[in-house]
Amino acid sequence: MTQPEPAEMKVSGPRPSMWRNLSLVWLVPVLALAVSLGVAWKAYRDRGVLINITFANAAGIVEGETTVRFRDVVVGHVENVGFGRDLSQVVVSARIDKEIAPYLDEDASFWVVRPEVSARGISGLSTVLSGVYIEGAWDQQAGTPRSEFEGADRPPLVQPGRAGRRITLRTDDGSMISEGAPVLYRGIEVGRLEQPRLTLTGSNIVVDAFIEAPHDRRINSATRFWDTSGFSVSIGAGGLSLDVDSLASLVAGGIEFDTIFDGGRPVSSGAVFDIYPDEATARRTAFARTLSGGVAVSVAFDESVAGLTNGAAVQYGGIRVGEVSSLNALVQNETGAPEVRLVANLLLDPVLLGLPAGAGEAEVLDFLEQAVANGLRARLAAAGLFSSDLIVELVSLEDAAPASFDRDAEPYPSLPSAPSDLPDFTATAEGVLERINELPVEELLDQAIRTMASIENLASDESTRKTPAAAVALLEETRALVADPAIQALPAELRAVIADLQATIAELREGRAMANLAEALDQVNAAASNIATASEDVPALIEEIRAVTAKVNSLEAEEMVRTANRLMNSFDALVGTEDARALPEALTGALGEVRTTLTDLRQGGLVENANATMASAREAAEAVAAATEGLPELSARLEQLVVQSEALIAAYGDSSDFNAETLDALREVKTAARAVSQLARLIERNPNSIVFGK
Amino acid sequence: MENAGRTQPVLTAQAAGLVGCRACGRVNPQRAKVCARCGGELCPNDPAALQRVWAWLAAGLIAYVPANIYPMLRTSTLGRTSENTLIGGVVELFSHGAYGVGLIVFVASIVIPVAKFIAIAYLAVSVRRPSVPGDHKRLVLFEVVEFIGRWSMIDVFVVAILSALVQLDFAASINPGAAAVSFALSVAFTMLAAQSFDPRLIWNANERVHA
Repeated sequence: MTQPEPAEMKVSGPRPSMWRNLSLVWLVPVLALAVSLGVAWKAYRDRGVLINITFANAAGIVEGETTVRFRDVVVGHVENVGFGRDLSQVVVSARIDKEIAPYLDEDASFWVVRPEVSARGISGLSTVLSGVYIEGAWDQQAGTPRSEFEGADRPPLVQPGRAGRRITLRTDDGSMISEGAPVLYRGIEVGRLEQPRLTLTGSNIVVDAFIEAPHDRRINSATRFWDTSGFSVSIGAGGLSLDVDSLASLVAGGIEFDTIFDGGRPVSSGAVFDIYPDEATARRTAFARTLSGGVAVSVAFDESVAGLTNGAAVQYGGIRVGEVSSLNALVQNETGAPEVRLVANLLLDPVLLGLPAGAGEAEVLDFLEQAVANGLRARLAAAGLFSSDLIVELVSLEDAAPASFDRDAEPYPSLPSAPSDLPDFTATAEGVLERINELPVEELLDQAIRTMASIENLASDESTRKTPAAAVALLEETRALVADPAIQALPAELRAVIADLQATIAELREGRAMANLAEALDQVNAAASNIATASEDVPALIEEIRAVTAKVNSLEAEEMVRTANRLMNSFDALVGTEDARALPEALTGALGEVRTTLTDLRQGGLVENANATMASAREAAEAVAAATEGLPELSARLEQLVVQSEALIAAYGDSSDFNAETLDALREVKTAARAVSQLARLIERNPNSIVFGK
Repeated sequence: MENAGRTQPVLTAQAAGLVGCRACGRVNPQRAKVCARCGGELCPNDPAALQRVWAWLAAGLIAYVPANIYPMLRTSTLGRTSENTLIGGVVELFSHGAYGVGLIVFVASIVIPVAKFIAIAYLAVSVRRPSVPGDHKRLVLFEVVEFIGRWSMIDVFVVAILSALVQLDFAASINPGAAAVSFALSVAFTMLAAQSFDPRLIWNANERVHA
């Protein structure tokens, strides 16, 4: 039997303390917790500042995605896009990095960057794909942070914080200045214009410009600004000038500046400058500033100074030595009667006059005094050949009227003037022009036109064209005619014929045939009327009538006409003969012969004779015509006579001897009457035929 | 055979003053620190070892918080950048109608980690409570947790592969977010917690009750 053993002592060590037993593994969760809390705390600490930006619209802005950038670095994200209290605006809440937040003071501005195409270029292209973002701009000074901002529609032209200088430009014409227009320095854009605005009085337009560093150092009191908008064309004494600037400034306008003389004083930010219409004007105005150390003198002119302007050059020997600073009228009362003189104040540059640098007023006046004594005078001169602008010229005239340099004159020392040769030139030119003007150019032209017209008419006339041929033919014929022996005798024959004609006509006239005939007929009439009462006288009467009739028949008018006709025919034949035509032709010879013949003719008195003959012929024709006027009357009377005779004869019976004889007589009378009637008709039909036989 | 159907009071290694090697299974004296066969460290069957489970579990839970708060992926497409958290990604997938993918992501990144936390905590608590029945079921649960642990890394793998593949500069690029690291740490800590759990504790507790 085994002794019951006491139960085995369960020995267990002292329960180890909880901390003693703590495993090292617990470090892991502790570390994890620490890291997590650390990260969380850091995230909370670094959490950005929420700001609200109000925009008109939120085009393209996406919550959680759209970034806020500063100089294209992301400094925040849009967290929420909502509306303002009255839905009038969109409020974009963005969380901005904590480091940036202190700079978001009142000068911070925000705008949405979108793709933009303008005259100045294309911007924001990257946002086409990535979406818009909000760009902010602020300066480098931390101010009182704000959380509410108003977003701008477009980027501010001058972003705050950019180095540069803001100046104010003044002009009186804002038409060519637009917001954002470039400010150029020698063609390079160094700044931008802001929104132009009117001054309170409305008389000027003021626009702020921002010149970026480092170009802003070029701005000083010697800087001039001018408008380069668009392009300008000017024609002046210097010729044609065309100015075109960059395309951008052509579209949007632009201002250029330059420092155009040395020694400008620095200007503070916000200085005011004037904008000049063009570069030339700007540079001219700068000249006056150069002459701020210049010496002022005045010149009184007796003549008109029209064309002389402020800023006009003063030249000495062709070199610009100064300019006209002002013009005014001065009333002088030297001679008792008030006299207005025109005074130009000049500013002369000592350096340009050739005096040593640093020469003061005294030196200049000394120089002028001496020069005036030697004949220096101021006079007006034309700026250019075709320009009406005037300049003042300092010239040394040898024959100048004595004058002195009045150093003590008020307000400026007075330089004597000389009459300009300007009006002479003008007068001469005017005289020439007037003379040219007075030339009867128009009448001359009229006449010329008329002459040309008539020449044209003549030339275009058919007969004119034929003239040469006809002349040749005529000459040939004439030559042939003249060369013909028969024609040599023609003058004599003609003379004879004409003599005959004259004799005939004279005979006709002497014979007074017609008158006689009329008289006779009257007598016949009377006799016939007496027949009824004294029939015993009838036979004798008949005899008388027969005689009269015979006489009438023997008038030989027809014979004469026929003779003339024959003459003419033979003349015709003579001219038209083969011989005449076949005669040799030589123009010169013919002309010579014609000439000699004509001389002969003239010597022979043929022409005079012919003229006389023709005159006689005309007279004869007239006489014949006058005579023929009586012929119808004559035939009427004859017929009347015959009727009376017949009546008379009828009273005597048929078969008597008396009757037969009477009848014969009457028949003859009738024949005669018919012949007369024929003649009368012939003459009536062609009065000239009695002369020319046709 | 009269004992069939009920648990026999068997002699355990602990009762016999021995300790089994967890690596090769050889039984060593309780005082031995190192396995005589494989040289593996012999951990005494100490309930205090549960501390490590709790510690790893706490670390996993702590790491899981930022994994859900911070973005998992940062996707840039044509300059537009978007970030997605785990839940956000799931919601987005569902809203796009990708229910299958959404479900996988949801299960892998939300359900499984949370279930693991719960399962490990339950196991760790249950060994302290001797009255809890179903030793075998708890062992199965433990094995499932240990097995599934490695698959929890699927999210991290997806992020890593996408980040490596999708680097097309401006057109598209995917970068891992802060949550990816946290999530990976969380999964790793959870796995370590499961590893630290000694399944012998499950029945050791019963022994104490019966003894």
